[in-house]
Amino acid sequence: MKKILVFILLVALIIPALSYAKRTPRYKAVEVTNGGTIKGTIKSENRVDDPVIPIRVKPKGDPEETRLEEDTCGSSQQAMMYVLSPDNEVKNALVIVEGITHGRAAPKKDITINNLRCRFEPLVSIAYVKSYYIIRNSDPLLHNTWLGKVLNAGARRTIFNLALPYRDQVIKKPNRVAGLINVRCDIHPWMRAYVYSSRHPYAAITDAGGNFEIRDIPPGTYKIRVWHEGFEDIIKEVKVKPDSTSDFRAVFTNTRRPFFMK
Amino acid sequence: MKKIIKGNIFIIFALSLMVLAFAIESPARDDDAEYAAMIESGRKVYEVRCLLCHGENGDGNGLAGIIRRAERNGRILEIYPRDLAMGVFRFRTTPTGCLPVDQDIIDIISNGVPRSFMPSYKHLPREDIKAVREYIKTFSFRWEEEEPCEPISVNRPVWAGNPDSVRKGRKIYKEMKCGECHGYTGKGDGPKSNDLKDDQGKQILPFNFTTGNLKRGSSPENVYITFTTGLDGTGMPSYEDSLNEEDRWHLVSYTLQLMKKGE
Ligand code: HEC
Ligand code: HEC
Repeated sequence: MKKILVFILLVALIIPALSYAKRTPRYKAVEVTNGGTIKGTIKSENRVDDPVIPIRVKPKGDPEETRLEEDTCGSSQQAMMYVLSPDNEVKNALVIVEGITHGRAAPKKDITINNLRCRFEPLVSIAYVKSYYIIRNSDPLLHNTWLGKVLNAGARRTIFNLALPYRDQVIKKPNRVAGLINVRCDIHPWMRAYVYSSRHPYAAITDAGGNFEIRDIPPGTYKIRVWHEGFEDIIKEVKVKPDSTSDFRAVFTNTRRPFFMK
Repeated sequence: MKKIIKGNIFIIFALSLMVLAFAIESPARDDDAEYAAMIESGRKVYEVRCLLCHGENGDGNGLAGIIRRAERNGRILEIYPRDLAMGVFRFRTTPTGCLPVDQDIIDIISNGVPRSFMPSYKHLPREDIKAVREYIKTFSFRWEEEEPCEPISVNRPVWAGNPDSVRKGRKIYKEMKCGECHGYTGKGDGPKSNDLKDDQGKQILPFNFTTGNLKRGSSPENVYITFTTGLDGTGMPSYEDSLNEEDRWHLVSYTLQLMKKGE
């Protein structure tokens, strides 16, 4: 009898535990009435020069086509990686409220990634799960737009990979995957872009003055990640109080080489 | 332990009932035992047949390690067993970015990937193949979060492979710039062929139409589905949105000609 009871207990506990372990935590959309704001500036400790990326077009079968590619892509590109204000404020840093479990619903907003003169436009953007990616090719060349979720070990996980052989071609794809995503083109290995794909509305990109603002956050203490392609991440905690603004300042100290330069 | 149980017999019983009731109430619970049994037999098949290459956790780091093979043109190909924990599949019938349907995985396990030394498991009982398919799904969380998309249907027209279609296909091969990677004459030596990297950042060579068989088997249908869906994780992009069905078959005709399988 006792053995049976212990058995029942174990089975009864294990079955739901197993099915719970399978479920992943999701973001819950709720109404936020007394939300707070995080507002601040991201800087770099040092002045960093923006690199120039050399472009070398390999000869194609048809010299006409080689010329077309040279004309479209140019012979070099300003990386626009380190775009700093005179006071070293950093543009294009992503500020992300991490691990947030509930808050306002993410907006329905599609984002466009344009292949323009052999670079992706925009370089950094925020996308929302359940909205769409709109991939456009504005060049008279074959581009492929290959999104991959950035994984820890320097690897990535393909999200999708589209060929765009025509000028003005537009392809719409659903956004199903959350996380930091990098965008590549195999044909032009220097091309790159970054998307933070979010389930929630609490992420921002810094402007030319290094400024950002994230509003309507449910009060609480949050981990903020500041990401930039050319700097090591900064993680800091911040307290958000009802109906008030928390000041957030972070300074990048270490640079890093992004994937397309490796 | 005995004492604790005795003293709390009612509580334990009530608790068990509550939890059981919860378990019964939620859907799909009936299948749990059946599912667990399938996973268990899948694990056994995996440990005997697949572990050596794909590794204990499915991450591709089995004892077999990397296999190197020289291409006919002298280039060295490095072949890695797939990291099944990534949940990214090359050989699908579903659009780029999607999980494969069950039949896709069955096809891969049954046929193997001869060009990459993955053996065929045609001889295994169908139940075993199904079980190991379910078992490898446990390596990646993607199977809990996503559903596979609708597969792309493949209906070969009677004219596929005829000379007129081959001629049209040659033009499409050029327009689609397949040659950038695969070479203008299909020899896998296009201007970008040495710059391609896979998801792991390792070099990957485009297919040489004039020497090899397709990894997934060289039927016209497989050629069609390859460039339509793309091979996720490899750099081979999807042309689903770039070509209509008719043009896709012309392209198949031409590539079969390159592979000397047409006409
Ligand atoms: C001799 C080594 C070897 C063995 C044994 C082996 N595989 Fe593989 N497997 C590979 C290699 C190598 C690849 C990568 C093929 C490629 O894309 O080049 C692969 C790829 C795969 C894929 C990925 C298919 C895709 O669409 O991306 C699956 C699934 C798979 N194997 C399942 C299995 C299962 C299940 C077994 C056991 C029944 C097994 N493999 C046994 C070497 C092996
Ligand atoms: C950006 C480079 C690139 C372009 C453009 C490209 N491919 Fe590929 N393709 C690859 C790579 C890399 C592989 C090798 C994948 C592997 O070995 O798993 C491949 C493999 C293939 C295969 C063999 C699949 C197999 O099962 O072995 C076929 C068929 C193919 N491509 C057809 C095409 C066609 C047709 C086009 C044009 C419509 C095209 N590809 C355009 C990079 C490319």
